Amino acid sequence: MTQHTLGEFEELVLLMVAAHHDEAYGVIILEGLEDKLKKKVNISAVHVALKRLTDKGFVKSRYGGITTDRGGRRKKYYTITALGKKMLDSQYSLRTSIYKQIPKLSFG
Amino acid sequence: MEMGPPKNAVKFLRWFCREDYVEEIEGDLTEIFEKEQKQSPRQAKYKFILSVIKYFRPGFIKPFKRNHQTNHQAMLRHNFLLTFRNFKRYKSSFLINLIGLSTGLACTFLIYLWVSDELNVDKFNKKGSRLFRAMEHRVRATGIWTSQTTSGPLAEALVSDMPEVEYAVPTSWPQPTTLSLNDKNITAVGRLAGKEFFNMFSYELIAGDANQVLTDKNSIVISDVLARKLFNTTQNVVGKSIEYQHESPLMISGIFKSMPVNASDQFEFVGSFEKSKEGQDWLLSWGNTGIQTLVLLKPGINVEAFNTKIADYIKVKTKNEITYRTLFLKGYADDYLYGKYENGVQVGGRITYVKLFSIIAIFILLIACINFMNLSTARASRRIKEVGIKKAIGAERKALVVQYLSESMLMSFLSLVVAMFLVYISLSQFNMITGKHLVFELDGNRILLFLGVTVFTGLVAGSYPALYLSGFNPANILKGRLSSSFGELMARKGLVVFQFSISILFIVSVLVVYKQIEFVQSTNLGYNKNNLIYFNLNGALRDVKIQETMLEEMKRIPGIENASSTNHNMTGHNGGTYGVEWPGKNPEDKTEFERMTVNYGLIETMGMQMVQGRSFSRLSGTDSSAIIFNQKGIDFMGMVDPIGKVIKLWGKDRHIIGVVRDFHYESLHENFKPVFFILEPNNTYRIMARLTAGKEKGDSQQH
Repeated sequence: MTQHTLGEFEELVLLMVAAHHDEAYGVIILEGLEDKLKKKVNISAVHVALKRLTDKGFVKSRYGGITTDRGGRRKKYYTITALGKKMLDSQYSLRTSIYKQIPKLSFG
Repeated sequence: MEMGPPKNAVKFLRWFCREDYVEEIEGDLTEIFEKEQKQSPRQAKYKFILSVIKYFRPGFIKPFKRNHQTNHQAMLRHNFLLTFRNFKRYKSSFLINLIGLSTGLACTFLIYLWVSDELNVDKFNKKGSRLFRAMEHRVRATGIWTSQTTSGPLAEALVSDMPEVEYAVPTSWPQPTTLSLNDKNITAVGRLAGKEFFNMFSYELIAGDANQVLTDKNSIVISDVLARKLFNTTQNVVGKSIEYQHESPLMISGIFKSMPVNASDQFEFVGSFEKSKEGQDWLLSWGNTGIQTLVLLKPGINVEAFNTKIADYIKVKTKNEITYRTLFLKGYADDYLYGKYENGVQVGGRITYVKLFSIIAIFILLIACINFMNLSTARASRRIKEVGIKKAIGAERKALVVQYLSESMLMSFLSLVVAMFLVYISLSQFNMITGKHLVFELDGNRILLFLGVTVFTGLVAGSYPALYLSGFNPANILKGRLSSSFGELMARKGLVVFQFSISILFIVSVLVVYKQIEFVQSTNLGYNKNNLIYFNLNGALRDVKIQETMLEEMKRIPGIENASSTNHNMTGHNGGTYGVEWPGKNPEDKTEFERMTVNYGLIETMGMQMVQGRSFSRLSGTDSSAIIFNQKGIDFMGMVDPIGKVIKLWGKDRHIIGVVRDFHYESLHENFKPVFFILEPNNTYRIMARLTAGKEKGDSQQH
């Protein structure tokens, strides 16, 4: 199997899934992103990212119970997998290690 | 007010979206929609629809293919196996179905071959869209009469006066002519034509140049077939000389390939029209008609506009002398299918039959299909247990529909094979009846059409049984309770009624046609047509003395009762004149009288009846200035006691010696028209002979 990569938007979604542990579903992720990014995001983009993350094995999903909200449709909750967490960690350490190499610069 | 998300968008989403995603997506979209609806319902709705559309992408769309492929193949094999077993088990219904469908298909294909041949007649000319025939509407006492005959000077005048005309040529009708090479005499059908004839038509020249073959007035262009008949070869024939009508030598200037069989004009040679002008002054005047004029317009000319322009052309050319003839052009190839005119209006022609037969073909096919449907539904009880068991073990209705459709499809393809065979063996007989030269060739289009018709037949024939049989309730069937609903019964009865009424319609039509033919054969034409034969005189036989001797000789043959000669073939309008003048004639009246130039004894030979007076007689001595009319002619002139009265024909006095009972010489649909007979043996070139009844063969053949 080839090493999976993580796109920028996918990484953000994966972070959101991790942040809302066990409570992450489409709309929550969308709102979280819109809140942090300060811009409108379309739900379909979130679903596409979630689908890819699932295919790559970074997240897994389960259905919630039936409620009267949402037209009676169940929520699909996503949780991050160990592989996903490892991916986030390696991304994070990669970035911080490179970041640390930046000499102290000041933009006066 | 709380509103749900837009229904159609949800429907669309559910239709295309993969089942493992649809719930999540729909739920999330609905949640967003519900939140946003509180601020702006319209915007929420708009956003919902837009989002749904955004999901219409490969990752979320349902796969088109079902993963039952192997199952399909197995089902197909199973269906065919069942079909074959059924055919084997019920041989009689299989045969009835096969015969019904294959004869239906064969009829349809034969009619198709005929129709497509009819539609292609005269379509072989490359410049066909610009090729026209000049025709005239002529005002007559009996109404407007439309004719293909034109005046001799028309072609030349059109070319010089009308810039729209590329070429215009005068031409005669193809007729049998005697050609001789040394001692060999051959009768060949040929025509005379103006020199650009080969530039206008797509007759392929094997030898000779289209621009030059007819420039010399003593030239003749012959077909490859005629060349082989005369010289046994088509090589080195150009430049040789052959004798035309035992009158004059003509030089062969070119050879053309024989025209396709579906050309309406069939001829074996073309001579120069210039030649025929010699000694035929009538060809130089606008007052006479008798030849065709063919016109090739330049590209892009609107023929309707051109027709308005030339309508008065003859009036203008004759300086208002001839006002009753309206000139117009008609597509050369159109004439075959749209040749019928009534009172100056185009009223169809053969196209009527083409349409009629196309409809008949469709109905025949429908009857065959209905026959199949009825047979399969009527024997449904045989198959009903099969349906019940299949359904009970979980067969879908769709699978049963497919089974019965594949059964009927197989049936129709078997019928196609049989039908092809039937067409193949019956084609020569069919050609004989229709007078066609159809060939059963399969090109791409025909194969597609035949396959299309077959698939259509299979679908139509199989549709009702498939839907009917597959619709049974398995519980009822297996309990042995089979009840047809009122609607089903009505549908089946309706089909039977439809099938029978169309069959009866066809049978009655055939009877009517049969009666009509019988009527045409037995109706009294005004002369005795039984045992009457005629043949044309060519070449030297046209000489009046030889003709006289020949008639005398013929009368001595025991099998021949009587013989005489005439100009007229008795089967249609041959030629007429308005040069008859009588006291009280309206000078404006241009009604044409049919002209019959005859020899002594023609009226007797034909068995025509004299109503008044007498026929031409050698005893009288003055009959060369006499004239005989038919009753219609006398009525038309308004004469009460015609015998002995004097009228003028072409300015000369002629005395009426007799009146002939009206007789038919045109279609029985036509009214009687005025006819006169004059005695001019030197202007007759058809021998009419009456054979003795019962001796038609034998004696007369020996001579």
